[in-house]
Amino acid sequence: MKEKDSRIKRAVFPASAFVIALVLFALLTTVQMRMIGNYIDYRSIPIGVMVQVIAFWMAGAVFFTLLTSCQLRVNYDQPLERLSDAARKVAAGDFSVYLRPRHTPDKADKIDVLTQDFNKMVEELGSMETLRTDFFSDVSHEFKTPLAVICSNAELLQKSGGLTERQQEQLDGIQDAGRRLSHLIYNMLKLNKLEKQTIQPVPESYDLCAQLAACAVQFEDEWERRNIEFDAELEERAFARADPGLMELVWNNLLSNAIKFTPCGGRVSLTQTRQDGWISVTVRDTGRGMDEETQRHIYDKFYQGDAGRATQGNGLGLTLVRRILELSDAEITVQSAPGQGAAFTVRLPAATEREEP
Amino acid sequence: MIHILVVDDDAELNRTVCTYLNDCGFAVRGVLSAQEAYDAMYNTLYDLIVSDIMMPQTDGFAFARSVRQVNRRIPILFLSARDDLTSKQKGFQLGIDDYMVKPIELAELEMRVRALLRRANIEMQRRLTAGGLVMDADAMTAEWNGEEIPVTTREFNLLYKLLSYPKKTFTRAQLMDEFWGLDSETGLRAVDVYITRLRDKFSACDSFEIKTVRGLGYKAVLR
Repeated sequence: MKEKDSRIKRAVFPASAFVIALVLFALLTTVQMRMIGNYIDYRSIPIGVMVQVIAFWMAGAVFFTLLTSCQLRVNYDQPLERLSDAARKVAAGDFSVYLRPRHTPDKADKIDVLTQDFNKMVEELGSMETLRTDFFSDVSHEFKTPLAVICSNAELLQKSGGLTERQQEQLDGIQDAGRRLSHLIYNMLKLNKLEKQTIQPVPESYDLCAQLAACAVQFEDEWERRNIEFDAELEERAFARADPGLMELVWNNLLSNAIKFTPCGGRVSLTQTRQDGWISVTVRDTGRGMDEETQRHIYDKFYQGDAGRATQGNGLGLTLVRRILELSDAEITVQSAPGQGAAFTVRLPAATEREEP
Repeated sequence: MIHILVVDDDAELNRTVCTYLNDCGFAVRGVLSAQEAYDAMYNTLYDLIVSDIMMPQTDGFAFARSVRQVNRRIPILFLSARDDLTSKQKGFQLGIDDYMVKPIELAELEMRVRALLRRANIEMQRRLTAGGLVMDADAMTAEWNGEEIPVTTREFNLLYKLLSYPKKTFTRAQLMDEFWGLDSETGLRAVDVYITRLRDKFSACDSFEIKTVRGLGYKAVLR
């Protein structure tokens, strides 16, 4: 039995309806009594019988209320409930929703017409969404080639030598920006493919600890350069059930963010634990942290928590992470407070005993 | 003079890579297809090949396969727009040595090319030197300033690997995979034990040091 939508304030057995029905019946019987009153002596009717008659009509009123309530529920409440559910699904991004009208076209009532219009609306939204994701991916693709040309020519210039210091700086600027754009495009395309389901996670059982260590090591140059202390606490071996290629992107994004947002001399830690068939991986940093408002939005596309930092991130890393985890039977939580850094924890299923090689 | 062959049907990219590597001091030749590559290789001995994967007619995989049939040693570096794990696996199974995903950073390409050349050099010579340390892979001997230090096969291989890629951190799992094979009963602790032994044996060698990257792995650092 579905839980009643808490937004609906009207009761199933409305007292008002009952009272109205009762009053109506009272009126009707009074009129009737008047009409046949001349032929029946009311004073001779015992109190007991009077009470019975009143009780009878009350029962009648109850029955009538229930009947109308039931009719309303079947013909209006339930179809509207289904419509409401469907609308919520569409709002969440599911454009495959389709409701069947209750009656055949020659007997369609207002609700059926509403259902048809609703289906049409969903179809239109769906096709707009397809256009949008296709556009997204086409544009990203188109960016790649000219961007590659910009970056490589900048590198060639730098290599050819004979530049003044100022020119060198300017060239560095071009290269940095180019690299950021490259990264952004990469993330956009990946995210797009995941959304369009061009790529689907292919879960398998693999050693998560080995993967975490391999990913962490890639950032060694960076944390050494910025004097960041990197702590890793991993089990020797832990088999997880997930798509290794996609999870690698998750770890790389989380680690990259942690290092990016930790000031020089700070600390980043990577810990992994196992419990009850789940493996938890936490990436913690000692950056400036985030307030609750920011935490709510970090997974949004292109959200930059701090406008000043807009030069560093690309706003899609966490969106990609969340998308991958959504598709992978895993979840992510964040703990943070301003001035206290942030800790991102990913929980994913451990491989079952049978699966471990 | 080191000769490099660049195989890519994208003329613009080909030219860019060639120019850059030329500026790096190599003798570079660019060709637009596998067929042209075969012709070029017939006439000149190359030290390294940089190849695209997606090319018309003969693709990078087929090209690499046929090269490997006649030359097991020449380093091959794949450049590809394909980022998926399957392509990478296929490449490495065919015996290529490195894989970069386009768009590439030319500076990174240079680094990897130099690393590959260095490794090929070491392998061809089957010898490695680090200051006063000389390791001979054929004889399986390690000498410090002329004096031999006795090492077991595994100890030798482990140190040789670390010194072949100085400053590169290897995770314990990676070292485990390479030297312990599928003996998965031995825990990662075994790696720790061997490293300790190596440090002991080579404590007199001040030309290098095996550093611990806490919680992750080890790397050899030249002093």
